[in-house]
Amino acid sequence: MATDTLNSRAGAGAASGGLRRLLLDNGALTALIVLVIALSALSGDFLTTDNLLNIGVQAAVTAVLAFGVTFVIVSAGIDLSVGSVAALSATVLAWSATSHGVPVVLAVILAVATGVAAGLVNGFLISYGKLPPFIATLAMLSVGRGLSLVISQGSPIALPDSVSHLGDTLGGWLPVPVLVMVVMGLITAFVLARTYIGRSMYAIGGNEEAARLSGLKVRKQKLAIYALSGLFAAVAGIVLAARLSSAQPQAANGYELDAIAAVVIGGASLAGGTGKASGTLIGALILAVLRNGLNLLSVSAFWQQVVIGVVIALAVLLDTVRRKAGATPQAAGTGSGGGKGRQAATYGLAAVVTVALVAATSLLHTGSASTTPKMGLSLSTLNNPFFVQIKSGAQAEAKKLGIELTVTDAQNDASQQANQMQNFTSSGLGAIIVNPVDSDAASNSVKAADKAKIPVIAVDRGVNNAAIDALVASDNVAGGELAAKTLAEKLGGTGRIVILQGQAGTSAARERAAGFAQGLKAYPGIKVLAQQPADFDRTKGLDVMSNLLQAHPDVQGVLAANDEMALGAVKALGSKAGRSVQVVGFDGTPDGLTAVKNGTLYASVAQQPTQLGRIAVDNALRAVQGKKVEQAVKVPVKVVTKENVAGFSG
Amino acid sequence: MSDPDELLRIEGIRKTFPGVVALDSVDFDLRRGEVHVLLGENGAGKSTLIKMLSGAYTPDAGRILVGGEEVRIQGAQDSERLGIATIYQEFNLVPDLTVAENIFLGRQPRRLGMIDRKRMEADAADLLARVGVNVSPRARVRDLGIARLQMVEIAKALSLDARVLIMDEPTAVLTSEEVEKLFAIVRALRADGVGIVFITHHLEEIAALGDRVTVIRDGRSVGQVPASTPEDELVRLMVGRSIEQQYPRERPEAAQEAPVLLSVEGLTRDGVFHDISFQVRAGEVVGIAGLVGAGRTEVVRAVFGADPYDQGTVKVAGEPVRRHDVGAAMAAGIGLVPEDRKGQGLVLDASVAENLGLVTLRSASRGGLVDLKGQHRAAERIAGQLGVRMAGLSQHVRTLSGGNQQKVVIGKWLLANTKVLILDEPTRGIDVGAKVEIYQLINELTAAGAAVLMISSDLPEVLGMSDRVLVMAQGRIAGELPADEATQDAVMSLAVSTPTTTTTTEKEAFRGH
Repeated sequence: MATDTLNSRAGAGAASGGLRRLLLDNGALTALIVLVIALSALSGDFLTTDNLLNIGVQAAVTAVLAFGVTFVIVSAGIDLSVGSVAALSATVLAWSATSHGVPVVLAVILAVATGVAAGLVNGFLISYGKLPPFIATLAMLSVGRGLSLVISQGSPIALPDSVSHLGDTLGGWLPVPVLVMVVMGLITAFVLARTYIGRSMYAIGGNEEAARLSGLKVRKQKLAIYALSGLFAAVAGIVLAARLSSAQPQAANGYELDAIAAVVIGGASLAGGTGKASGTLIGALILAVLRNGLNLLSVSAFWQQVVIGVVIALAVLLDTVRRKAGATPQAAGTGSGGGKGRQAATYGLAAVVTVALVAATSLLHTGSASTTPKMGLSLSTLNNPFFVQIKSGAQAEAKKLGIELTVTDAQNDASQQANQMQNFTSSGLGAIIVNPVDSDAASNSVKAADKAKIPVIAVDRGVNNAAIDALVASDNVAGGELAAKTLAEKLGGTGRIVILQGQAGTSAARERAAGFAQGLKAYPGIKVLAQQPADFDRTKGLDVMSNLLQAHPDVQGVLAANDEMALGAVKALGSKAGRSVQVVGFDGTPDGLTAVKNGTLYASVAQQPTQLGRIAVDNALRAVQGKKVEQAVKVPVKVVTKENVAGFSG
Repeated sequence: MSDPDELLRIEGIRKTFPGVVALDSVDFDLRRGEVHVLLGENGAGKSTLIKMLSGAYTPDAGRILVGGEEVRIQGAQDSERLGIATIYQEFNLVPDLTVAENIFLGRQPRRLGMIDRKRMEADAADLLARVGVNVSPRARVRDLGIARLQMVEIAKALSLDARVLIMDEPTAVLTSEEVEKLFAIVRALRADGVGIVFITHHLEEIAALGDRVTVIRDGRSVGQVPASTPEDELVRLMVGRSIEQQYPRERPEAAQEAPVLLSVEGLTRDGVFHDISFQVRAGEVVGIAGLVGAGRTEVVRAVFGADPYDQGTVKVAGEPVRRHDVGAAMAAGIGLVPEDRKGQGLVLDASVAENLGLVTLRSASRGGLVDLKGQHRAAERIAGQLGVRMAGLSQHVRTLSGGNQQKVVIGKWLLANTKVLILDEPTRGIDVGAKVEIYQLINELTAAGAAVLMISSDLPEVLGMSDRVLVMAQGRIAGELPADEATQDAVMSLAVSTPTTTTTTEKEAFRGH
C-alpha cells in the first residue's frame, strides 16, 4: 500500500516529481539550494564561476575531514582528533621534506602514515582499551596538536614547491583541492556502499551487539574505521598546507567541529547507523557557501558567527522535521495528503530559513551598490581588544574618507583567512588590508590578489614571499627590547623574572620573544626563572602565572608578550602586583592602560592600534588612487608608565 | 450506557497510518472489577488500541467514553488524570534510581521544596506490600530481576489510583511461578474494583484469569466471548482459521543413531554456570528449560563464543571450537538467535535485505567488495522461503511485526548454512500463527540434518517441540528428560531443585539408558 502511493505520485509528476522527491528526501540539499538562491539574489558576485570554484576550494579541507568523520559517525563513534591529526600530518610532511631533505614522495607517504597511525591509536584505545570514543579522540586532539608544535618548534615550516602545487589549479582553472575533494568523496561513497568494511559500519552503528553476534569482527573493524578517519585527516592536512604553502602547527584548529557539523547537516545521526557521502559533501558545501556569502555581503564579522550557528541549527531542524513528517501517521488512501503534509513542513521550514537569512543579511548588510571605493580588511582575530581597536580605527577612517570597508575575522586560522582573501579578490575590491594570522601562510592569497592587480596593505604583521604595497606596523622586536629594558631598569639591573609568551606558532609571539631576549642581553643581572606560553589570553595568563608562582614564589618581575596575559598575571599576583612584583605588558590596550594608571601594571609597550588601522586605510586609498606608498610605515611604539599614561588613549 | 459499573467504553474507533488501516470500527468496554482479555495476533492492532487509551495516539474516528462521558486523550497526562495506567512490555523505569523514586517519579512528595525521602519511601513500602513483593524501596531498579520490575510497575500504577490498568503481555517474560504470583495480584486488584485490560498470547491464561475476551483480527473487533470459551474456538477467532496442531513436531525415527553435532563438556564459568555437559545430535531438537536466572542464556552465549568460559570444551562434529570467538563458532557452523531480538538480533533501522545478509557479509565479499546483487538475490530467496510478510526487501525491520522480525533473525542464519542453530526464547512475544510457522521451520531444519538447541520459558512449547529436555537450575544441569518422560510437573520439580555435583552421575545414568 505504501508503495502504491509512491507510484501514483511518481506517475503524476514525471521528471519534476523526481526532483521534488529528491529534495524532499534530502533536507540538507533543500537547504543548500535555498541558500544559493538567496545569496545569488542578494549579491551579484556570488553566482560566478570563479566564486563557485572558490567555494569548492574553501569547502575542500572541511569536506575531506568530514568524509573521514562520516565513517566514524556512521559506526556510532565520534572523532574529535581530525583537526589536530591534519595539522600533525602536514607538519610531518613539511618537517621531513624541508628540514630533513626526505624525498617528497616519501614525505607524503610519511605524512599519510602519521595520520593512519594516529587513527590506529584512537581505534586501539576504543576497541581494546574500552575508552569512550569521545575521550580517546579528545586525548588524541591534544596529543596531535602538541606533537605538531614539538616537531615544528612552534613555527610554520615552508613546504617544498612540488607539494605546494597541490594548492594550485589544474589546466589554469580547476583547483586541485576541489579535485581532491571530489576524489575523496567518490572513495567515501564507494567504501560506504560497496565494501565489506562500509556495510559493517552501518551494522555496527545500527546495533553493535547484533553485529557482533552475527560474526562481524567489531573490534578490528573499529580499528580500521578510525585508521580511515586518520588517513582522510592526513589528506586534508596536506591539502590545507599546500594551499598555504606552509605547514602550520596551529592549522585546522576547531575543524573537527566543522567536520562533525557537516556530517550531521548531511543527514547522519550521531547515534549511528545512517549517513552518506553525498550528504556530508552537501553539509560541507553549506558551511562554505555560508561563509563565502557572508563575506561577499560584508556582514559584520561578529554577526557572521551568529548567522552560521543559526543556519546549522535550521538545516538540521529542516531534516528532522522532514523525517518526522514522513514518519507521522497519515491517513491512508489519501496518500497525497500524507505527501502534502510532508511537503508543507519542508517548504514551511525552507521559507523560514530563507526569511531568516534574507532578514539577517539585509539587516547586517552595511554596503550599498554605489561607486564609493570598496576595501576589505581581514583581521587575524577579533577576540582581542588590540585587533578590535585596529578595526575601529580603520572603520572610522573609512567612514571619514567615504570608503566602503568590509571587515572579516579569521579567528586565528590561516586557512580561513585564505578563504576570506580569496573572496575579497574574486569580488573585485579596490584594495585589501590584511592582518595576517601567519606571515608565511598569507603569501599565496596575497600573490593571487597581486595577480588580480589589487593593492594589498599588511597591517601589524608582514607577509613573506609575496609583494605587498605597504606594511603598516609597529616594530615587535624593538618593542620587545623596549619592554625588557623597562622592566630591567625598574628592577635596578638585577632580579628574578618570568616571561609569559604568546601563542606558539604566531609571528608576534616569536618576534616579541626575540625582542625580550635581545633586550635582556644587556642586563646579565636579570635571571629568567621560566618562560611559558599563555597564548595571548588573559585566562591562560592567570592560570600559567598561578602555576609559576607555586614553583617560584620569589619572582620579582613579569614580562608578558601582550597586555591580556599581563593582566592575567596581575590577577594571579593579587596584592603583590605593582609592589613586590613588577609586571610589564605589551600593546597598550585600554584595559592595560587603566591598569598602568592604577599601578598594578608597571608599564606597557604601547602600540597604537587605532593608528595602525587608520594609517592602513589611508595607505590603501593612496594605493588605489595610484599615489606613491611607502614600503614600510612604522607606527611608533612607546613605553607607557604611570607618568605619561594620561597622554595615551589607545 | 448508564451502567454504573462501566469504567470505559470504546465505540467505532478507527486509526490509520500511511498505507495501513491499523484499526477500524473497534468496540470494547471494561467494567469495574473484571479482567478483560484483549486477544489477537501480533499486528492485529492491540498495541495501537491501548496506545490510544494511554494517549500516545489519537483516534481518527470513533468515541472513547470514560465513566459514561466522552473524553479526548491527548497525552499521558490526560490518561493519568482519567485514572488509566499502562504497563508496557518494555518497562518505563529509570535503572539508576531507587524503587521509591521510580514509583513517584515526577510526583515525589515534597517538603519545603526538598524531596521528602522518608515519606516517599514509607508510601512506596505500603504500595509494594500491597502488590506483595519483597523489595526494599531503597533498592536500585538496575539490580532487580524482570519479575520484580513488573511488580514495581504495578506499584507505580497503584500509586496513581488507577481505575483502569492496562497490561501489555505481562507474562511474556515471567516463569510460571512468577506468573502465578502475578495472577494473585491481578485477582486482588480485581476484587478492589479495578478494571484490567490484559493482553496475552498464552491461551491457557485466559481461562485462568479472564472474565471476558475481545478478539481483534486485522484491525477489527471480531467478537466478544466469555473467558471460558474453548481454546480452539479462540484460536479460530484470532487467526480466522483453525490451527491443526499447536506443536507440530515431527520426531525423526532414527535420532538415536544420528551423529553428534554439538558436544559440550564440563563447561564452567565461575559463579555463573558449572560443569555443563550435553550433546545434540543431527536432526534433534534439545530444549533447555529452567527458571529465569538459571544460567541458560549464559551457557548458550558461551557455546556460541559471545562470552568467555573458564573451563570445559565445545566441539562441533568432533572438532573443538576456540573459546570466546564468535568467528570460530560460526565457521564451525553454530548460529545463535539471541533472546533479545531487538537489542541483539537485529539492526532495527536497516532494511530486511541488510539484516538477512549480515552473517554472510564476509563470505559474500571478494577483495573487500561486497557482492550486493548476490546478497540481494539470497535475501529475496530466503524471505520468500520463510514467508516474511513485508512491503519489500528495503523495508526497515523496525516496522515489521515481532514474528516477521524473528523470521529475519533466523533467516540470516539459514543463509549461512548453519548446522547447529541455538534458539534463545524464539517465540517470545510472537503470536500463535507465527509461532507455528517458526515451529515448522525448526522441523524443516532438523529434517535437513541440522541440530537445534532451544531455550524456552514456555513449558508447553519446550515439551511440545523438544526431543529431549535439559533442565537447568542455579547454573547447573538439574536433569535431562526424554520427550516421553517430560511432563510439566517433572520439569518444574527439576527446575526448582538444588542440583549438586551428584547430578553429574545421575545424568550419566540417564545417558546409559
